[in-house]
Amino acid sequence: MSGQYFNSITENASRLGMRIQESISEHTRELAITRGASTAYLEAPDDMSKNIRKQLDSNSDREKLDAMKRLIAMVSKGRNVSEYFAQVVKNVASHNLEIRKLVYIYLLRYAEQEPDLALLSINTFQKDLTDINPLIRAMALRVLSGIKVPMIGSIVVLAIKKCAADVSPYVRKNAALAIPKCFELDPSHTPALITIVTALLRDRSSLCIGSVAVAFEAVCPTRLDLLHPQYRRLCRILVDVDEWGQVDLMSLLLRYGGRQHRPGSEPVTQFHRASTPIAESSGRSGSNTHILLRWAPSRLSKVTQPLLRLLPGSKEVSRIVLVYISVIAGDSPSLFTPYYARFLVSTDDLRVVKLTKIQLLLHLLTPETYSSILREFIDCADDTDNEVVAAAIQALGKCSHQIPESTQTCLNALISMIKSRQDTVVSNAVLVLKILVQNELEAESHNRPIQTQQNPGMSIISHLAHRIDDIKHPQARACVVWLAGQYASSDAPSAGCAGMHDWAPDVLRKAVKGFIDEDPIVKLQVITMAAKLLVLNPTNRTLLLLGRHTLNLAKYDLDYDVRDRARMVGALLVGVLPKEANGADEVLEERGGVVLRREQVRVVLFNGKAGVVDKDKPSDDRSLLGSLGMITGRPMRGDVILTDWLEEGIEPSLRTNPDDTPTPSAIPTAISSRPHSKAPSAHASPVILTPGASPSGSAMRDSSKGVWRDLDSFYAEESEEEEEDDGSEDDEENEDDNGEEDGEAEADEETDEDDSDEDSLDATANETRSMLQPSAGASS
Amino acid sequence: MAIDGLIILDSAGRPIIQSGFRSTSPSYALVHIDAYNNAVAAAESKHGSRPGDIDPVIYVPPFNSADSPSACCHVPCGDLRILCPLSGDVDPLFAFAFVQTFVDILTEYFATVNAVTLKDNFDVVYQLLEETLDSGGHPLTTSPNALRDIVLPPSLLTKLLSVAGANFSHTMNAGSSASGPFASPIPWRRAGVKYASNEIYFDTAEEIKAIVGKNGTPLSCNVWGVAQANSRLSGTPDCLLTFTNAHVLADCSFHPCVRLQRWARDKSLSFVPPDGNFTLFEYRYAPAASSTGTSLVASQGGKDNVPLPIALKHSFDITDTSCTFEVSVTSRLTTRDIDGFVAELYVGDSATAIKCVVGRGSAGMSRGLATETGSGGSSWTFDAKNKVVRWEIPKMASSSSWYLRGSFNSTSTPPRPAHAIQTHFEIHSYTFSSLKVESLKVTGEQYKPYKGVRGRTSGNIEWRW
Repeated sequence: MSGQYFNSITENASRLGMRIQESISEHTRELAITRGASTAYLEAPDDMSKNIRKQLDSNSDREKLDAMKRLIAMVSKGRNVSEYFAQVVKNVASHNLEIRKLVYIYLLRYAEQEPDLALLSINTFQKDLTDINPLIRAMALRVLSGIKVPMIGSIVVLAIKKCAADVSPYVRKNAALAIPKCFELDPSHTPALITIVTALLRDRSSLCIGSVAVAFEAVCPTRLDLLHPQYRRLCRILVDVDEWGQVDLMSLLLRYGGRQHRPGSEPVTQFHRASTPIAESSGRSGSNTHILLRWAPSRLSKVTQPLLRLLPGSKEVSRIVLVYISVIAGDSPSLFTPYYARFLVSTDDLRVVKLTKIQLLLHLLTPETYSSILREFIDCADDTDNEVVAAAIQALGKCSHQIPESTQTCLNALISMIKSRQDTVVSNAVLVLKILVQNELEAESHNRPIQTQQNPGMSIISHLAHRIDDIKHPQARACVVWLAGQYASSDAPSAGCAGMHDWAPDVLRKAVKGFIDEDPIVKLQVITMAAKLLVLNPTNRTLLLLGRHTLNLAKYDLDYDVRDRARMVGALLVGVLPKEANGADEVLEERGGVVLRREQVRVVLFNGKAGVVDKDKPSDDRSLLGSLGMITGRPMRGDVILTDWLEEGIEPSLRTNPDDTPTPSAIPTAISSRPHSKAPSAHASPVILTPGASPSGSAMRDSSKGVWRDLDSFYAEESEEEEEDDGSEDDEENEDDNGEEDGEAEADEETDEDDSDEDSLDATANETRSMLQPSAGASS
Repeated sequence: MAIDGLIILDSAGRPIIQSGFRSTSPSYALVHIDAYNNAVAAAESKHGSRPGDIDPVIYVPPFNSADSPSACCHVPCGDLRILCPLSGDVDPLFAFAFVQTFVDILTEYFATVNAVTLKDNFDVVYQLLEETLDSGGHPLTTSPNALRDIVLPPSLLTKLLSVAGANFSHTMNAGSSASGPFASPIPWRRAGVKYASNEIYFDTAEEIKAIVGKNGTPLSCNVWGVAQANSRLSGTPDCLLTFTNAHVLADCSFHPCVRLQRWARDKSLSFVPPDGNFTLFEYRYAPAASSTGTSLVASQGGKDNVPLPIALKHSFDITDTSCTFEVSVTSRLTTRDIDGFVAELYVGDSATAIKCVVGRGSAGMSRGLATETGSGGSSWTFDAKNKVVRWEIPKMASSSSWYLRGSFNSTSTPPRPAHAIQTHFEIHSYTFSSLKVESLKVTGEQYKPYKGVRGRTSGNIEWRW
């Protein structure tokens, strides 16, 4: 570069010196302030712009450049400067490359809005298509394809056709990218465009093949037959394509492999062979992870390392990767269990990352890892974010549910959390404890009677009941009061009230004492508890008085929910309590209605409350891996579902390409950085030749060439296959419809996805089976 | 796979530069800028959440019923934010990868990327945007070597010439049309590179990421390394780089120029380097991987046993309205200094009246027995916006100890600081893996290049309490 600079300096030296002398006084300002000169453009007030027209028409390049920069600055500020279109367009033929580039940038922005003016200059663009500079040719084509006037469609097609045969791969790349725009403009040119795409598919340069894949997907996504002769070559050059092209090319090849062939058949294995080195060496940018995730599900183990490698990258990348890992781990946790330590939560993680990590660690719970993961959840409960605290404590509950050995540790941790001074910690801990206790008691009720004092569930309740004074958080308090009431009954003989645990009346006593200061949700639970205790033992004098006191307090409460509850409970207990306990007998007698017996009231109050366990949401659909919808958690239109394997493959000979004949002197155009495993390459030479065709490919060509001339004759002979193909094409059309019809109900799409998931699981099974045997295609 | 465009916002959330957004409605870009600014405002106003805690992918509801929903990916870059709107079936990783590439290109062109440099060079940025991103959202040319041929990097010289009105760029491009853009047979290397002195430098930068549990044992610990190269070699050199201890490298990923087959065979790197700066390969340091392979990694739960270079002790005392804390840190290195040590403690959004004392010596647990007085260069600051106490020690001599004592009050009870201290530091000319280059052979060219290898380490350790 510096050499070129130097040459140019010498060329320009005399001229430069002259010019500087001429204009030194005029331009001292610009020379002095080399930095910040352009800032002036961006921050210039708008009235500066009135000279622009004059400047654009001037003869001096400097003036023109100045005006163009000013215009671009105004574009940048969001002004509409399309009024200068006519003046700008005149400069498109400027001999100064910098001006020309700025002109094209301007034109690219406004060609759409001012198609008529753009049409006026169409001759200039067409002339630029033959410019010696490939940059100008490419830019002219970009502007030409950007003019949205259907009338010029045929001119654009001609231009694309011309550029597609250009010597510069850069121009060919731009030609490929112009195809989708032309197709959008006027689909009637499709046949011509398909011809161009077909020609471009044969392109030898790895530079433009990715863009060709883009064009193919836009113009003729269903014409996979065009790929037959190119498939093997495309697989081979995949490693040489740049990272962006790889993504598009891989998704096209994957679709070809997926649509046409069974797992284990030659094209599929070839694709996997070609993409494996890419997977194994992919860096921390993760651009192609998307495609790797959509590989056959059985190959997910190959993705483990690339995904883990992305984690230490930027915050943004690790946030996305964690979601993918979490979903994969939901199905096959064993892939990631050894690496659980890499998913530990860091305090400076984003909230959403912390939540994902907790979810992910839950998937990785095994008898070996649970102690560490449990400790992690306990540490997370100290977090400063309430959502994270809640998630961590709930994770503790799920942990004890999944790994029975961990129950005791979980319970200890939760009970110690109840002593915490943080409201969030306490309330979440109590809520989780409630679920745990209920599960515990439910499980025990199948084995031994609940009433034995030793069982852990009851001991937790009794522990909570004894600590009722320390539990301040209303929700937690309400929960404890409810638990105490619900599980108060006991057959064991006790010193206090018969028929219930010792602690039960005590909880009620403490709760009633501060009744007026309690939160409404606690009050409601206290009333319910009083009723429950009275049903358990209607004869105890003290309890009766306590219950009456509660109901009286509640009757005059400020909260109408509490008054309502008191009225309801009072009415419910009419038949239970001894006559003299009801203060206003006569009133009640008059009221009449149904009076429940004690057993009935007991059923109303106690039954049907146990076993309320929150269920996990069904895990996400794997076929959506690598899609936007998975990250945002909402359906995003246009998520693509990979089609199923075809039962019968396509005849391998269709993929033989006469151009593929292995020639000892291949074209020395590109260095193959990642030589294909089949092609031994010389390391001593600085330039490694593109490897020739694979041996298997040429062998098959010899054996079967001439039997099938084209796809039609092939299908004509194999009617069975034809039917298969038709069927799947119909499927695809249906999917397309779903994508296009805006008003389509989401539910439909979801069911489709479910179906395809089941199928892909089948496909997994199929594939694993066929992986065990040598693949038929490769060996024949 | 295509993104919708790029928007570069300044620190106030106003757009500086944006790509065309030709395929979408005119309001599309505005909707996304609003969505981002709203998310920032929401994160700042929400109680209990730290400022800047925004999901990197923001869901943007459809602007009107005819639109489809989209998402806004955003990445910080200096004082700028780069937004990348997405819609349809696009992997957000693709968007982030592209934004990262674009930022790398900007850094290559302008050395530092901030609002000022972008405003200074907005015309170059527009040209770059045009060349790297097709109007359909497909990335075009992103290799810095190829881009340098298409878009001239700004330099004093080009500025001078443009001021003088000389037709510099035109002459240059026309003159070199034979070796013009994309004439090179190697996609990642420019053709016809010439240097008076041929040099190639390798920088190995390793980063230790660890979380230390409450009991002082590391819960997770990994060392990630990246080898940056700066190649200034003429012609088409073919390099062969070999290591004496290649077995310490695990999970390697390479620049496209590296021949993978050669690496798989004998763990040596054979490549034709791009011109200028590039990332040759990235790896994880695996101390034990050589002997036992993956089984041991599995039993360790994915953590590597690397001794931490610092030891940190802490004690916290939280009462209803206040919190006092004492932290001491000791360098475990015996021969080297640790540079730029920073410890950060988030004290919760209701913290007030922060007071700290810093000093050198073993004041830590044996209260009042400071062997040396004075701060010894260390200092503390309080970032009131992010509610973070920062403790900085510019240079930590080998085996030296330092302490930080402080207290703060809290308007909410009880105080709620983060239960972990984040520490960052750097160690020059030191690597955990002690990866050694055995030799670098350059074939294909006549000259003998000058070679240089450097190593440095940064640390990122979280200590829970």
